[in-house]
Amino acid sequence: MIRLRGVVKRYRDGADTLVVLDGLDLDVAPGELVALQGASGSGKSTLLHIVGALDADFDGEAHVAGQDLRALSVAERARFRNSTVGFVFQSFNLLPGLSALENVCLPAWFAGGPAPGRSALAAAGRAALARVGLADRARQRPARLSGGERQRVAVARALFANPRLLLADEPTGNLDAVTGAEIIALFRGLAAEGLTVLVATHEERVTAAADRALFLEGGRVR
Amino acid sequence: MRLRGLFHLAAQDLAADARGALLNGAAVAVGAAVLVFFLALGAGIADAARRVFPRDARLVEVVPPAVSLSGVLGGGRLDDAAVERLRRIDGVADAWPKLALRVPIAATRPPEGLAVNWPPSLVIQIPALGVPRGFVAQDLAPGAAFEDPGPDGAIPVVLSRRLLEVFNRTIAPAWNVRRLPPGPALVGLQLPVRVGLSMVPQKTEDRVYEGRLVLAGLSDRVPLYAAALPIDAVRRLHREYGKADQGYTAVTLLAARPQDVPAVAATVRRMGLAVDEGERGSAERVGAAVALATGGLALLALVLCALAALAIAQSLFASVRARARDLAVLLAVGARPGDVRALLVVEAGLVGLAGGAVGSGAARLLALAADAALARALPDFPFRPDTLFAFAAWMPLAGIAVAAGAAALGALAPAAAAARIEPARLLS
Repeated sequence: MIRLRGVVKRYRDGADTLVVLDGLDLDVAPGELVALQGASGSGKSTLLHIVGALDADFDGEAHVAGQDLRALSVAERARFRNSTVGFVFQSFNLLPGLSALENVCLPAWFAGGPAPGRSALAAAGRAALARVGLADRARQRPARLSGGERQRVAVARALFANPRLLLADEPTGNLDAVTGAEIIALFRGLAAEGLTVLVATHEERVTAAADRALFLEGGRVR
Repeated sequence: MRLRGLFHLAAQDLAADARGALLNGAAVAVGAAVLVFFLALGAGIADAARRVFPRDARLVEVVPPAVSLSGVLGGGRLDDAAVERLRRIDGVADAWPKLALRVPIAATRPPEGLAVNWPPSLVIQIPALGVPRGFVAQDLAPGAAFEDPGPDGAIPVVLSRRLLEVFNRTIAPAWNVRRLPPGPALVGLQLPVRVGLSMVPQKTEDRVYEGRLVLAGLSDRVPLYAAALPIDAVRRLHREYGKADQGYTAVTLLAARPQDVPAVAATVRRMGLAVDEGERGSAERVGAAVALATGGLALLALVLCALAALAIAQSLFASVRARARDLAVLLAVGARPGDVRALLVVEAGLVGLAGGAVGSGAARLLALAADAALARALPDFPFRPDTLFAFAAWMPLAGIAVAAGAAALGALAPAAAAARIEPARLLS
């Protein structure tokens, strides 16, 4: 599912250059739940951004879900993010003006192909919410939801387009222990269904639930 | 991006910053209101000017030259041969000779069948101009004759539409007589006249007899100062009173197209004749002044719209900064940079559309208020318009389009900035 070879990512700040990833190699098989660990600034988020085609400014090879990410155009990267990858962030990143259902259905507004009907779209959105146990919260705005509920809406949004890869950046970082455990269980279940899940985390309980734990240090996987 | 999603997101974003949207909308509305107001004012004043100076852009008034050596030698005279030569000029569709009546005619009694409190001593001198039927044919009442009826018949006349306006607004109030009804109701009205009678005793002919004029129509082609009679009737009266043939007073040429007029006028001058630019010149000067003023005011309105666009640009730049993370989320879930650009432009366009619609409506209300104020402030005078404004259907549409366009233009730079957002830097 994921094959990275010699990936180098540099950040330039004036005359200074910071090398975050330095010839990183990584292989992740389909259906694997992989935990990425490392100190702050070790490049966990950067790695997720590269794998998720949010960041195309890197050196090396990156093949994800059969796509050579460096060969994709801007529009193709957008389509890739829309159809192949789902993102879950620590700070949820829900749009405050939209309801939970609208947030979940957001990827559909940017999908190609014929537009689904309004009711079909809503049904799909409700199904995604039901999958994370929030069928009854569809009309609520994010401000009316708890932290755990917001993160579950974010997971529902990430799963809405039936992606092949779920990328989660500290998904339990803002959650209490119980809610965090629920999210981890959810990821475990998704991986069991065949979804590839790559989670950047500081938490041992996430690492414990993963099929494999990787440690980023010095810009490489140890 | 799907249109439904685009408009839904745009509406949500506008609702989230309703105060900013209202302020931007107000700025655009002011520009649109000023634009529509001044366009309608210009059109209204142009309409009023056309009522004062009605003119057919294809007519050329040919008169004998004021000073002509050829006139001394018999040239420069407007006779039938000259009319034929004028008719054969390239670009001339028709030529109508005009002959001023040199026999005085005066009215001493009111029109028959019209209740007008005519003062007993009132004598109205009627200057008359003989014209061929074709000159006024388009303005004759249905079935109305315009031929010389002979010595005993009522002579058909066509009056200037403006004369009725001047009478009703100036003469009637001054003489304390009743106003005349609208033009069509007057057609067929007969006015007893005394042929040969002049208000100036020395100019009264030896023979004065009773005659009648019958109104056959009202026309903008007839000069304000004269009644148009069939030219054969004028010739007959000249024969009756022994008036020598002095040639035609003028010849009106009808150009095939308005753009032929300059070439026709130049040819006329080369023939040793003159072109009377009097009323035509006035109309053109007034028209040019109105167009210039309208253009200037419309330009001012466009400047206001441009300022509104700048205000929108500034506001949207701030909005993009504030919403950078939300826009990054859109990019993360599959939006292309073009989708983000379109979202910002649509938001601004919606503000512009709403502002344009409100502004166009406000212009209408302002016009009503201005008309009401003028109606109270201005006295009654000839050609006083009931409204200073002429709202064509395209004007509010133009106001809305300009407002939406200005808003969308103002959004271009912020939209480009939004499309350059790097989600990887903003999302965590």
